[in-house]
Amino acid sequence: MIARLLPVLRALAFVLLALLLCGAIFELAGYSSLLMFQSIAEGAFESPEAAMNSLRWALPLFVTAAGVVVSFRCGFFNVGAQGQFYIGAIGAAFAVEWLNGAPALLVVPLALLAGIAGGLIWAAWPGWLRVRSGTDEVITTLMANFIANLVLIYVTSGPLKDPSGTGQVTASRPVAALYRISDSGGVSPVILGLVLMTGVLLWLLVNRTAFGVLAGLAGRNPVMVAWQGAQTGRLGLAGFLVSGGFAGLAGAMELLGPNGRLVSGFLPAHGFTAILIALVAGLSIGGVAVVALFFGGLAAASLYLPVIAGLPAAAIDIINAAIALFITARAWPRGRWFLRRAT
Amino acid sequence: MNDLLALILQAGTPLVYVTMAGVLAQRAGIWHLGLEGLMIAGACAAVLVASAADSLLAGMVAAMAVCVLGSALLWLVIEKLRANPIIAGLGLTGLGLGGTDLAVQAVFDSEATVRSEVGVPRLGAAFGPYAQLSLLVLAMPVVVFALWLLLRRTRFGLRLAACGEHPFAARSVGVDPQRMRLLALALGGVLCALGGTELALGSLQLFSVGMTAGRGFMAFAAVIFGAGHPVGAAFAALFFSVVEALGIKAQLMLGQALPHDLLLALPYAATVLGVWISGRLRGGAAATGFAELRDY
Repeated sequence: MIARLLPVLRALAFVLLALLLCGAIFELAGYSSLLMFQSIAEGAFESPEAAMNSLRWALPLFVTAAGVVVSFRCGFFNVGAQGQFYIGAIGAAFAVEWLNGAPALLVVPLALLAGIAGGLIWAAWPGWLRVRSGTDEVITTLMANFIANLVLIYVTSGPLKDPSGTGQVTASRPVAALYRISDSGGVSPVILGLVLMTGVLLWLLVNRTAFGVLAGLAGRNPVMVAWQGAQTGRLGLAGFLVSGGFAGLAGAMELLGPNGRLVSGFLPAHGFTAILIALVAGLSIGGVAVVALFFGGLAAASLYLPVIAGLPAAAIDIINAAIALFITARAWPRGRWFLRRAT
Repeated sequence: MNDLLALILQAGTPLVYVTMAGVLAQRAGIWHLGLEGLMIAGACAAVLVASAADSLLAGMVAAMAVCVLGSALLWLVIEKLRANPIIAGLGLTGLGLGGTDLAVQAVFDSEATVRSEVGVPRLGAAFGPYAQLSLLVLAMPVVVFALWLLLRRTRFGLRLAACGEHPFAARSVGVDPQRMRLLALALGGVLCALGGTELALGSLQLFSVGMTAGRGFMAFAAVIFGAGHPVGAAFAALFFSVVEALGIKAQLMLGQALPHDLLLALPYAATVLGVWISGRLRGGAAATGFAELRDY
């Protein structure tokens, strides 16, 4: 019991350390860190509406993060969740555009599938390059994110442009109300069902299939797994595809759900936050469910801060980044006994 | 032709400086993904301090201080807390991007671009089409050569390479790999500050939030493309800016015929291509190779 709790405690300790660093940065910039953290808590959890809002942000983050868990377990640093999320949303938007007029029971599943397909494509080429040619996947997926962002700008200002739109950010034509799976509140039976399905499917995949077990081993010791006759390349590519597919699904969910249209540069921190969630949760699907709620709260607060508290939303980016800085740390400076035993 | 060359040098110089920082870290055995964050932190500090103190020197010193501090933080987390360098580097990048956003808002109250009156001195009218280039462009080849000298022709450089390739061997002759990595990262911080200064004060004389636009990651890709060799990596970085400059040229010549946003993606695509080629050249395919490199 103690042995299982220790990693959790350690993760908490490092999150606290990260928050301390954030506090120092806020103070340096001339903001009261106490006020900042208080406002963040208000924006995330204080009222029932705030808690509901946090859930709204936690749901798509959970789907993407649970997918990221699979590729990280395979030992591949697929940091391209953001791009896969965007391309998924774009795929779903095109599906809705082409099938406009057909019954919703047909369009919605097809649009979700198109989202998954978009995410798959955007994960497939970096994964394939990695497995076939040893091309470093960290760089290719990062570059894929930048390219996906430009593709999104191109699509919203070209093929799918909303002619009535004005102002600096471009957006696509809104999805017809008929095909929406939730209102802008973002919590609806369909979305909850999809999220639940994702959680169950990925939990089974990771914990109850040969693929999940092999992938976990390959992530820790690829040489051994290769010597045992498993094809690590194939495992890695499959991990890439699974994570890309779910990121794409999250994109499609955002489009058909709370967003209702493509907006250039929407949810810019989604992919990075999802990767953080996967790491803070120690690459376990159950853990992701809990941690996603916390980061969903932070995401909700990043909208609350500038509007109501009059504080810059960049504070949330800083908190996320500081947590990323520390979360993979494995030891204290001198390796205290209680932490050393856990590793 | 001349103005194209000037464009390439202007776009490429910040990238080359940051690439050199990446080369130092790579030689010491650290995959440095915090370059983007250090570069933007350097650019922001340079502009804020230079315009406040009305002195270029103050701006550059501030940029160096910030970047060296950031590098030291990364070193602490990677070496002393044994964090994963890739995730920690991405965290440092996020900290740089968010921190500069916060700093600009704290000082100027609105999310806007900050202009600076002072800039790096230019070459001047005597140089014809190159008049707009800053002195840091002129210094760039010197820095690359000096780094080559340092890494390939001195005791320090050989020891640094040993720390990167075989830390145990380095330790056996009494070299402390952790300390060498701190030195490499700190020196890299100075180079990142130069790159950031050139980016913000070299030609534009302004800072805007997120202005690095992935250049730090491109610099890291140039390190991989150039196999960790200073001169090779510098040419790789220049290759990326050639692609960027050609994209701008194509835009000017073809106008609306090509979608503007997709042309902007060219340098990123070239980066993927470069890393793919270098992977092929070195026999790639090994599913384990990079994981081992990363793991300490």
